[in-house]
Amino acid sequence: MKKSLALLLALAMVLALAACSNTTTPSGGGSATPAPQTAAPQGGGEKVTLNVIISQYGNYTQDWWPTFEKDFEDTYSNIDLNVEIVSWNDLYTVVSTRISTNQAPDILNIDTFADYVADDLLVPAEEYTSAELKAKLIPSFWTANELDGTVWALPILASCRALFCNMDLLNEAGITAPPKTWDEVDAACKAVLDTFNGSIVPWGLDISGDEGQAAFAYYTWNNGGGFVDADGNWALNSAENVEAMNYIKSLIDNGYCNANPYTDTRYPLQDAFNAGSQAMMIGACNMMSADSEVNYVVADLPTQTGTPVAMGVCDRLMVFDSSVTASKNADEAARLDAVSKFFDFFYDTNRYSEYMVYEGFLPVTTDSSELLAKSADQFSVGGTGAPGDNEYFANFSSILLSCDFYPSSRAEWIDVKQGVIDAEQRICQGEDAQTVLDALQAQIAG
Amino acid sequence: MSQKQKQPSTREMKQRLKRAEPYVWMLPSILLMCAMIVVPIITVFRLSMSEISRANRVKGFNGLENFKDVIASPTFWNTLRNTLIWTVAVVGFSTLIGFVLAMVLNQNFRGRKVVRALVIFPWATSLIIQAVIWKYIINADYGALNVLLSKLGLIDHFVNWTATAGAFFAWECWVGIFVTVPFVTFCVLSGLQSIDTTYYEAAAVDGASFWRKLFNITLPLVRPSLTVSTVLNIIYVFNSFPIIWTISKGDPADKTHTLVTYLYKLSFTLGKSGQAAAVSVIGFIILAVCAGIYMMISLRGEEAD
Repeated sequence: MKKSLALLLALAMVLALAACSNTTTPSGGGSATPAPQTAAPQGGGEKVTLNVIISQYGNYTQDWWPTFEKDFEDTYSNIDLNVEIVSWNDLYTVVSTRISTNQAPDILNIDTFADYVADDLLVPAEEYTSAELKAKLIPSFWTANELDGTVWALPILASCRALFCNMDLLNEAGITAPPKTWDEVDAACKAVLDTFNGSIVPWGLDISGDEGQAAFAYYTWNNGGGFVDADGNWALNSAENVEAMNYIKSLIDNGYCNANPYTDTRYPLQDAFNAGSQAMMIGACNMMSADSEVNYVVADLPTQTGTPVAMGVCDRLMVFDSSVTASKNADEAARLDAVSKFFDFFYDTNRYSEYMVYEGFLPVTTDSSELLAKSADQFSVGGTGAPGDNEYFANFSSILLSCDFYPSSRAEWIDVKQGVIDAEQRICQGEDAQTVLDALQAQIAG
Repeated sequence: MSQKQKQPSTREMKQRLKRAEPYVWMLPSILLMCAMIVVPIITVFRLSMSEISRANRVKGFNGLENFKDVIASPTFWNTLRNTLIWTVAVVGFSTLIGFVLAMVLNQNFRGRKVVRALVIFPWATSLIIQAVIWKYIINADYGALNVLLSKLGLIDHFVNWTATAGAFFAWECWVGIFVTVPFVTFCVLSGLQSIDTTYYEAAAVDGASFWRKLFNITLPLVRPSLTVSTVLNIIYVFNSFPIIWTISKGDPADKTHTLVTYLYKLSFTLGKSGQAAAVSVIGFIILAVCAGIYMMISLRGEEAD
């Protein structure tokens, strides 16, 4: 009797295992939380499902979107919106796994899109962007998403980088103004090092795998070099770039920066600056925490050319082709109409302005830029609930218009990005800058 | 007549069922193994011979192209060398330290239980937490090690403990050893506790030295425990991901990768899933060869017994 019962239990377990197996056959490796499985409505006039992945920009991103989701569904009762917040640490893994298993979201918020275009996975932006929305997007942000004559994504938000200086520390070290050139940076770093006997890090440097390409941009752009030449061709091994790389190395060799720029990402550096244990760093416009007591000023990036070049960063929203999405909507026209409604709803002047203040990023639409420059204080910052700072938005939004951006709409960008990080690290570990950059140029440009 | 015909067939059925019974019992495990082990292995082999786009779409069969690309990269060979150093250093040193610790913990002394609990502590803590803690300890700008040494007056300025890739990797090996020692210690300790004390008493009567007792009684009798811990450690350590990824992510300049962190970077940072699968297959083959050698040795040992 006991044996029969045990046998029965074993069989039940086998059946349960069989029942647990997924009905879809994955075609790629990796594992991630599966996309929300949604029943596909058959026939016209039925509910359209939109799955959206939003990147986590701060500690409170996940608190803002549920209200958006509810408001949107209240307004459009025939659209079932599922917003999922994914951290930047997991974003690439999650998206890559979803795409390989045809479980991609309908709308994705990420930084690059060229790889998806190469595989015909995206819908051109003209197909879902309303005329009103297109008219209010800042033109340079619209064209920044162009590849082979087609715009493939919409900008979601932007930030720009500037030099942050702890003036209390600099003044104590005898430096009265933020450095404007590399020589002045060296002088300020030496003064801080000597004054505080090594207990204060003079200069925050991040050449880690996280955002080492940003350091490449800060120093090469402000030495007359950069990723591409005036004709738009890759020019990674220019004399200006070699000089800039050697300058980064000198910061490390002289002990002017944090001890481990290879692994220190911008986050511990920001923490150190906010805590007052680091005198200077180049950081994002929203890097200061609300509770920091540091007396700081924001200045132009130090330059060797006389004209400082600021760096802008812009993330995107893109729409996946229905052949790879998890939502499996039967009616493609209805899906694109829902997508269009989503964007119009999101970029609504008040709602979008509220989100920008909430996250501390800069708007990419003209109407929100104007509104926030005058009255950002009517919205509150995520987490603290403090009112937005009008001056912050007025200043940085105007700087943003003159910023340079990564050439990230190019198909080679991922290789270039990883290549310059690798090159920086090799050079700072003692390899010859010209040789390393020549090899990278040959690899990228052929 | 009909009853006579029916009886043997029922018996036969019962016998058949009895013969099938073990397989029915094993079926859940076999299905589980197929789903969790065999299918992923076959998938990785298939992916290693496929062209995969950066957006992770399989484009078709491309033979050994991924393997050729991997082998042509100097980073792969440096990574392979690192993996061997990492495995040998971590398994070797943790076995040595674990063995000595087990010998100490096998003695009767006051507070033995407390020490045993302390030894198991690193093992009971998650690897990622351990790695993060060690990353903060050795940080040159605000790390606990520098603060401690300077408060003790042993250094007058903060030392950069990870100035080079080699130094980074050495620290990672140390963290690997630190978290592996408890496992070896407790494996060996279980072996030591099963040794009959009369062997030592008899040896003491015969005037055997400490070393004689160690090599002629202790080591032969804990050999099975040591073998198990070493084989398991080789597999665990070879495939270990969290320590290196948390502390250095393979940087500076990809010089501190092991095969597992390298294939992760290839797949999820560089978008080269085909090459990542090829590295995975190479790692699998290396471990399969090691496991095969172990099986042969242990089977021979059984035959000899």
